[in-house]
Amino acid sequence: MRLKRGIPVVIAVFFGVLTLVGLLVPLPEISNLLLSWGGFLAAVALILGVLNLFTVHITRLFRERNPYSGILVFSMLAVAALAVTDSAAVNLTENGVGSVFNLVQAPLEAAVASLLAFFLLFAGFRLLQRQRNIWSVLFILTAVLILSSNALINSALLPAGASLVFSQMRNTIQDIFVTAGIRGILIGVALGIVMLSIRMLIGLERPYNK
Amino acid sequence: MTLLINLLAIIAIVLMLLLLTRRLQNGRTIPLRPLTGYTALAGQLGRAIESGRRLHVSLGRATLAGAANPTSIAASNVLDRLAQDGCANATPPLTTVGEGTLLPLAQASVRRACDDVGRPGDFEAATVQFIATDTDPFAYAAGVTATLQQNRIASNVLVGRFGLEVAIMAEAASRQEMEQVIGTDDPVALALATAATSNVLIGEELFVASAYLEGRANQLASVQLQDILRWLIILTILGLSVYQLVT
Repeated sequence: MRLKRGIPVVIAVFFGVLTLVGLLVPLPEISNLLLSWGGFLAAVALILGVLNLFTVHITRLFRERNPYSGILVFSMLAVAALAVTDSAAVNLTENGVGSVFNLVQAPLEAAVASLLAFFLLFAGFRLLQRQRNIWSVLFILTAVLILSSNALINSALLPAGASLVFSQMRNTIQDIFVTAGIRGILIGVALGIVMLSIRMLIGLERPYNK
Repeated sequence: MTLLINLLAIIAIVLMLLLLTRRLQNGRTIPLRPLTGYTALAGQLGRAIESGRRLHVSLGRATLAGAANPTSIAASNVLDRLAQDGCANATPPLTTVGEGTLLPLAQASVRRACDDVGRPGDFEAATVQFIATDTDPFAYAAGVTATLQQNRIASNVLVGRFGLEVAIMAEAASRQEMEQVIGTDDPVALALATAATSNVLIGEELFVASAYLEGRANQLASVQLQDILRWLIILTILGLSVYQLVT
């Protein structure tokens, strides 16, 4: 039992230290080799993910008669069939998968992305309902200011003087307050990553040993 | 020279970590400041169990084969704890992932939790679901939104690497009046998360999940060392700023 739990730790620590040495020295051959292995494993994991997606939804289709699962299963099979017919061996269609992406997926993702501004404003107003304090008001005011300044600055609706003021306010907020906040968060994140990584390198953190 | 400095820094951090771990194992304790995210997690799990509904946990879309690996590892620490408590009450958390390498990690976590409490039959294939790849954030958001709407979910826990798509997921949960905990290391996602819920794990707070949820000596030592290093960085920045002003 101890050996069974110990082997993954030894493997993880060995390859972790090897990667660290390869990056520090530097030895690009080692780093590139290990990174290519990682990329290969990620590709295999993607296949597992797709199989999981298919299995879950085909089960849901037959067990619960869920129409959305049916559409997903049909779409997966249709795109897979298109990929086969696009291939050089079969050559029945030309760029079928690309067409599906350009005509279906890309517009759908663009439509969802376009809703983000509305989601942000709704969330902001809900924040005001949930906690009415100076920080919530400041959040809303800043969001409205940035959104409106981006929209109005280059338009003919504002006189040049007002446009300049809006622009300066936006730049001050973004260059000073936002940048300072983001840097603080990122320094903390970097510290957290360093500590967690070192714990994994010396075998104290074992996410693989479940 | 850079190599030497980097090596010395790593060795110093390792030695300090081991030293602080030994001190904690010998009986010293350190107080952990309360974090609303972790406090809320305990309450949400209890309410989910009482209502007969499940927790939904999403681990984000940072690949284990990339630079954001620690973010996903930290998120899986949260899942470990929620899976243990959920499986003990026959309600394993419904888990979704936005990247392929996270799927086996999450499956192992939930399956292990079910095995530990003697309920291996509670783990089903649909308990952990792959939604979309990391290159399709809005497809991921749409899939998570559908999961929230089509299942009996009491609380929504989003921990890991998210981007703008977190706004869509959080909004879907808010519309269904679900309690939420969101933890991520992306500053843009954090801004959106703050609008959606008060229970936000900001940046480094996500990486101390194991210390808050498990509390082993080496995890607490890691938190303590993080605090020490943070103060060193603050003093260095202030010192250099004063030096720049004066010279």
